[in-house]
Amino acid sequence: MTDEPYRYVEAMANRREYVENQLATGSPIVALSYDGGVLFLTVGPERQKVFEIYDRIALGALGHPGDIERLRMIAIEVASTEGFTRSPADVSLRRLTSYSFSPMLKNAFEQVYGPPLLARLLFAELGWKHEPDLFVRLDFDGSLQTSGVGVAREPFGVLAGTRRAMNEMHDFLKTKDLSEPKLSAALELAAQAWGVGTYYSRGEDHREKPTDESISGVLKDALKRNVFEAAVLECGAPEHHAYRPLDSSEVEAVTARYRGSD
Amino acid sequence: MNLAGCEPERAQIAGDFVEALSRNGVTFQPTLPSSGASEFVQTQATTILAFKYEDGVLIAGDRRATAGNIVVYERADKVLEIDRHSVMAIAGVPATAWEMARVLEHSFHFYRRTQMQEMSVDGKVRALSKLLRDNFGFAMQGIGVVVPLFATFDDKFEHGGRLYFYDVMGAQFEVADFAASGSGSPAVKAILHYESQWGKKPLAGRSEKEAVSLALRALETAAESDTATGGVDRRSHVYPVIKTITKAGVETVSEKTLASIYEKGMP
Repeated sequence: MTDEPYRYVEAMANRREYVENQLATGSPIVALSYDGGVLFLTVGPERQKVFEIYDRIALGALGHPGDIERLRMIAIEVASTEGFTRSPADVSLRRLTSYSFSPMLKNAFEQVYGPPLLARLLFAELGWKHEPDLFVRLDFDGSLQTSGVGVAREPFGVLAGTRRAMNEMHDFLKTKDLSEPKLSAALELAAQAWGVGTYYSRGEDHREKPTDESISGVLKDALKRNVFEAAVLECGAPEHHAYRPLDSSEVEAVTARYRGSD
Repeated sequence: MNLAGCEPERAQIAGDFVEALSRNGVTFQPTLPSSGASEFVQTQATTILAFKYEDGVLIAGDRRATAGNIVVYERADKVLEIDRHSVMAIAGVPATAWEMARVLEHSFHFYRRTQMQEMSVDGKVRALSKLLRDNFGFAMQGIGVVVPLFATFDDKFEHGGRLYFYDVMGAQFEVADFAASGSGSPAVKAILHYESQWGKKPLAGRSEKEAVSLALRALETAAESDTATGGVDRRSHVYPVIKTITKAGVETVSEKTLASIYEKGMP
């Protein structure tokens, strides 16, 4: 097939369309810096979608549970092996994603005869002391998007089933004041960004930006059957234990707001 | 960072870090020398002790490392925090023991991250036993002999503290009250036995302060007759390393506290 260029291009396009259709209905995930670290938030049934990878690295993923599991295991294994043979300080998200994950995902996607990996990943790494946190999104084809470098680095990362939803979530968070919010404010912002993503993920061709009412409508609707899943990478936590899932009491305030009777 | 061989489907035991390492081509054990191994003088670490007190387990070690009759180092740390609720103390060859501690620490984190639950206390105790057994070939040749203590805290038990000592082959022995290892251990064991039988209070009824005081005195006594044990060096401010393991986790007793307790004597 590869010696027939047209058929190759066609095969890749079909494959891309197939994977994108599979991912389209995934629940968005938002990762956001707050004054005490990094917050991950999503909404869903009980299935876990945010995971601890290493001392300062966490992962949020959407897609097929089997593929997510495989990628999660690889991430932990690569980081742990590096951390053991060199030192935990040598494990970096930049190296993990650009040297290990991106080429591997690209490879898996382009091997037309093998099954593609149905997953999209959002990694976050807690910054050292005065360094900003880093967010990296990896798509099923190995393409990689970071939250930027230096002072222009954005303090958040987003993940959703469709490209449109991700762009809209990004634009939504861009307009907000994100200078080190408290955890409670970060939870609220992340919930709203999730609402924006879901608003666009549902397939309708929205021409207008969602209003505050339609965002909270999306959230209220989702929370009838689902729960918030949130986790943090905390600055100043005991060594090796920066990652911590938030329990339901810690997200109660934001849950209560969208669990109204109306 | 290499992904070759990172296929989790091939994992035989879920969450086993040592297996993950070998799958990735990392070996942490050197190859066994064929002869002449026991000719050279190895660095040795002694003396360690641990006992249960009111809030949990206290675990302590002197700071001296020796090779034959040479003092190699006066600030060695033989009491190593493995995770938030477990500590391994080492007597024997630090080169092997520190590496075992490192493997153990990484194994527990690896298990927690991959399996998304904490490893059970029994699982942790077994993990160290397995490392010792893997080292037995070396120990037989007289190199890298390690005789550790392992202490942890388990909420499921009435007195949460759990304490184990090991032999060279990796058999683990759980103890009810105290354990000691290393060249200064006969003196330490005698003191702890005397104190628990005929002391004012049983060891498990003592406060942290009383426990720290007893540990310091036991190590001082061991140092009195054993040149390989460091004891307390007040002039250079070298105190033993003492850690406590309680429900709240592992805490290191600060040098300041050690100094003040040592000077005041038993309260």
